[in-house]
Amino acid sequence: MPVSVPEVRTGASSHQKCHPAKEKDMVKIDLPRERDRDWKETMLKKMAEVLDRYRSVRLFLDICVKCGACADKCQFFLGTGDPKNMPVARADLLRKVYKRYFTLGGKIWGRANEAEELDERVLDEWVTYFYQCSQCRRCSVFCPYGIDTAEITMAAREIMAAAGVGTKYVTEVVAKVYDTGNNLGIGPAAWKDMSAFLEEDLKELEGVDIRFPVDAVGAEVLLVPPSADIFANTDTMIGYAKMFHGAGISWTTSTYCNEGGNFGLFLNYANLKKINNRIIEAARRLKVKKIYWGE
Amino acid sequence: MHFDFALLTMGKTFFFGILPYVTAGIFFLGILYRFSVWMRTPVPLRIVTTPGPKTRTGVLWRLIGDVLWFPNLFKADRSLWVAGWSFHILLWLVLLRHLRYFLYPVPEWVAGIQTAVLYAGYFIPIPLIFLLARRLVIDRTLFVSILGDYAALILLLSITFSGLLMKLFFRTDLIDVKALIHGLIHFRVLSIDVSWLFTFHFLFVTILLITFPFSKLMHGGGLLLSPTRNQRASFEERFINPWDFSVDYNDHNLSTPEKYRETLGESREGEKG
Repeated sequence: MPVSVPEVRTGASSHQKCHPAKEKDMVKIDLPRERDRDWKETMLKKMAEVLDRYRSVRLFLDICVKCGACADKCQFFLGTGDPKNMPVARADLLRKVYKRYFTLGGKIWGRANEAEELDERVLDEWVTYFYQCSQCRRCSVFCPYGIDTAEITMAAREIMAAAGVGTKYVTEVVAKVYDTGNNLGIGPAAWKDMSAFLEEDLKELEGVDIRFPVDAVGAEVLLVPPSADIFANTDTMIGYAKMFHGAGISWTTSTYCNEGGNFGLFLNYANLKKINNRIIEAARRLKVKKIYWGE
Repeated sequence: MHFDFALLTMGKTFFFGILPYVTAGIFFLGILYRFSVWMRTPVPLRIVTTPGPKTRTGVLWRLIGDVLWFPNLFKADRSLWVAGWSFHILLWLVLLRHLRYFLYPVPEWVAGIQTAVLYAGYFIPIPLIFLLARRLVIDRTLFVSILGDYAALILLLSITFSGLLMKLFFRTDLIDVKALIHGLIHFRVLSIDVSWLFTFHFLFVTILLITFPFSKLMHGGGLLLSPTRNQRASFEERFINPWDFSVDYNDHNLSTPEKYRETLGESREGEKG
């Protein structure tokens, strides 16, 4: 069934902002405690770095023709009608600043190129609309040049993070991974306990001893599930165990790394990498041969 | 009066004798510059859009398909696809037809397509006007369009209409035009009188070519380098990020299983699965 496209309602979701990050989390994830006093300089410096490191970002900012093919494909626009939630307009928030500081056209004829100074108002829009994107990449499937707004959103969040601008939801979850190994903050003792509980459940259910090994050194497979699978979607967790049992494959989970999701993706490259590194570290420590990992 | 005439001659020498070389220089060097910037900027991650081709040949086919057919646009917006695709095809046909002003002797195939391709020129304003109207009529495109977007369309329309007017109503002497272009190609600047309409046609094209490398009109070149389109979806091979760095844990986020040794006690001494 075709989706009905809403009329443009300027500012419809401009009031919907994420809670700002907390100092305790920012410290844990190697970001400035609070917004830099020289946030503008920090962000422009970071932006220069991002432009030199990601061809995607530079190219996508350069070649968009604003045809509008993506405009009615974003669920955030379809849901709110806020024009700044159209992928092209979301990218424009970054593009305007890029033009102002990094292109000849924007420097000499800002009006025609819609170049914009990076100021308090622009930053406020960045915080609002770059966190109203779920990085699903649906727009990239419809763009004739494959422009992927997720790359733009990630770049903007990376730039903001460098100046100490983040949201509570994302930074708290990343910090929790360093604390407990997973997004939900399930500590090792609790993880073991829940695994044992599921073993009992399964014994009652099937009358078979099916194990949920934790931190088992020398197993064949390290399973890195989304932590929600043991916390909420236990049927899925039970499914993994049954599958391994049936296939006769020895396996284990790790209390150091038991999270298949990676919120670093929503924040910056360093944390993305650090969280992924834990999977390798856990696998080495437990001397497994394979990693089954997913979310 | 004599003085004015000298000024006019100087102006003409600049316009038809110097500016074309400057334009060509900016156009080609500008494109090279843009490509060099994009090509030297690394691609740190594999971000190919699904379903991605697995081989290099597959990538080549995907890009050829993207260039010739605009498949993503076809999925996204059918009327926009019709207008955008037909405009590009018509533009290429018209450009091919213009080869007769640049090549001597005129190749047989260029001569052969003249009459048929004339109609491409007649039809080209239709998609252009549609694209312009669409920008203004749809609230979403109206919101995102900037002056540069309208300017590009109006410039293309100006080129088209000045060309069509020359063809249909104010015929220009093609022998002079051809002599002028050949003079330029062979670095001999001739003093030739051409019609005012041709002068405008020439001017609009000059503006287009000068702004081309620095505008969104580079989208065709950019498509070829777009990581979501030109990457392979082969995950057997490790993808190396050229600027990768190692990450360390700090005192605040240092968390190893050892931290929990006390909580876990004996039980964390690995058990066989």
